[in-house]
Amino acid sequence: MMRGRIVRVVAALAAVAALGALVNVGPLAADNNNDNDNNGGQHRPPQTLPQGFETHRELLHDAIRSDEAPDNSAWILESSRFMGVPFRAFMPDRGDRPTVDLPVNVGIIKGPDGKLGVYDTGWKQLHYIFDLNTSCCWAPIRQQMTAIGLHPDDVEWIVIGHGHWDHAGQISEFPNAILYVQKEELKQIDFFLNYPDTFDGGHISAVNTDPGGCARSPVCGYPPQTVNEILGKVLNHKAKIVDGRHEIRRGVIIHPAFRGHTYGSQLLQVNTPRGQLVFGSDTYSSWEGIRDWNVANIQQTDTIQQMLAYEKCYVLTSRPGDKSFHNCVSAHEPLSYTASYPLTSTWWLIPGGNCSRAAELTLANGERSHVPNPPPRGACTPVIPPH
Amino acid sequence: MMPRADTLSTKVSRRNVVLIAAGLLILVGIVVVALAREATSRRLVAAAVSRPTAPTRPPLTRAEETYIQALWPIHGAVERSAVRMSMGQIFYVIKDMGQTELKARVDDALTTFQRAEGQLLALEPPPSLQRAHDDYGAAVRLFHKSAVEVSKIFADGREDHLRAAYPLAQEASNTIREIGGRFWPDEFPPN
Repeated sequence: MMRGRIVRVVAALAAVAALGALVNVGPLAADNNNDNDNNGGQHRPPQTLPQGFETHRELLHDAIRSDEAPDNSAWILESSRFMGVPFRAFMPDRGDRPTVDLPVNVGIIKGPDGKLGVYDTGWKQLHYIFDLNTSCCWAPIRQQMTAIGLHPDDVEWIVIGHGHWDHAGQISEFPNAILYVQKEELKQIDFFLNYPDTFDGGHISAVNTDPGGCARSPVCGYPPQTVNEILGKVLNHKAKIVDGRHEIRRGVIIHPAFRGHTYGSQLLQVNTPRGQLVFGSDTYSSWEGIRDWNVANIQQTDTIQQMLAYEKCYVLTSRPGDKSFHNCVSAHEPLSYTASYPLTSTWWLIPGGNCSRAAELTLANGERSHVPNPPPRGACTPVIPPH
Repeated sequence: MMPRADTLSTKVSRRNVVLIAAGLLILVGIVVVALAREATSRRLVAAAVSRPTAPTRPPLTRAEETYIQALWPIHGAVERSAVRMSMGQIFYVIKDMGQTELKARVDDALTTFQRAEGQLLALEPPPSLQRAHDDYGAAVRLFHKSAVEVSKIFADGREDHLRAAYPLAQEASNTIREIGGRFWPDEFPPN
């Protein structure tokens, strides 16, 4: 009797297994809209837009192809510096010191034709920058560029890593330049602008509706002034609204980093003599964060997407057998302009720049150095401009 | 030969003293290295910049506080309408929005700006904030004028009206940002 029972159980289990094999539905997927046919077997992460996804193979293709493109020169300068920011508010996994000073870095790229592009523009809202006393060292971007020997009128294109006002606040300083902004960024602003505040008291909003309300939430940070900077470009037909990857020219490529900080964040890959550089705005808020795989600037929409964007830098800048994070360019890395962030170690105080700093990242063949000899460093006392 | 007990004890206590001294030396070394590292990293980060001193804000009087609180909901409505209109124009120009939807936004904005003008008239600012109040009112009137200019596109379809409206809205935006920065300094912290 016992033997008969065992046989029946085994038979039942075998039947269930056979049925399972017949109606195999594949691995569990949170996203059933996952068209992976052309992705070389690499799956698009769940809830990721197709135009926001790039496979390793595609990224490596961009890296290899760009290696053969003409070299660009690159610099960064700081638009201003947030002083005394609580470190754990910036990087919750760190906090070696109670506070840090965060630069607001702007990237400048000079192409083989001598024309310039900028990645992010910094800002100019002086009441905010200074009345809160969180910042120092601001100077107008055109003045800063001129002081380091780069002509602002030569700026032909602007890529904003995202549309927050400390990054998109000086677009109008380059009236002839073409602006590149992601459509997803615009859609995000519009969506959260119209988001009902019935239950959230305005904490989920593109513009603030309650003092301190949306202050530290990811969708906040788009005052009318900054949105108008974008509108100005659109009205003058000087804006290109892109949707995902976009090649500005050979060796200068926009890569989507949707939700890595904001919904429409974008990176910029630039071919240079030191390999591919990847500028990351607030998706790459901290270079140490990329190096150590820590989140930084916790306002990003999605920490997973931030990590995936970190990985894009590794893929684009590494060589076989040499995984590297050295060429990832961060917007707010506290170690910027020091030897501890090697890419930015050739730095100097911008003459007449109110203690703001510049760093020469790399020079294309034939481009002379813009670093004064000796580079001005040392003590500096910033002033608060009249406003 | 076995060592004598007192010699053994002296040797042990000497060994202890040596061990303790070595331990202390290591601890002091760690502290010195840590202090040196801390000092170096601070120097690296600070890059020899002394902090600017911002003028201290005098505390608000009760009348000022009351006024600023009353202005807040007006400010929120004006700001949202201004951005909504700007975004509408962006989507219209890039052909992601039709005239009907843009018109709805512009009409909403006109209503908001008109209402705000009335609400501002009803406010009684303290003398210390009279100038800011006047500037804010002028900014809302500029927004209103800008919306009127935008609405002309519905008559003839010419985008020139949007370009003519733009500097008005931009000036108004600058003004309310400056006033907002003074009244609600936490409104837009760094992102």
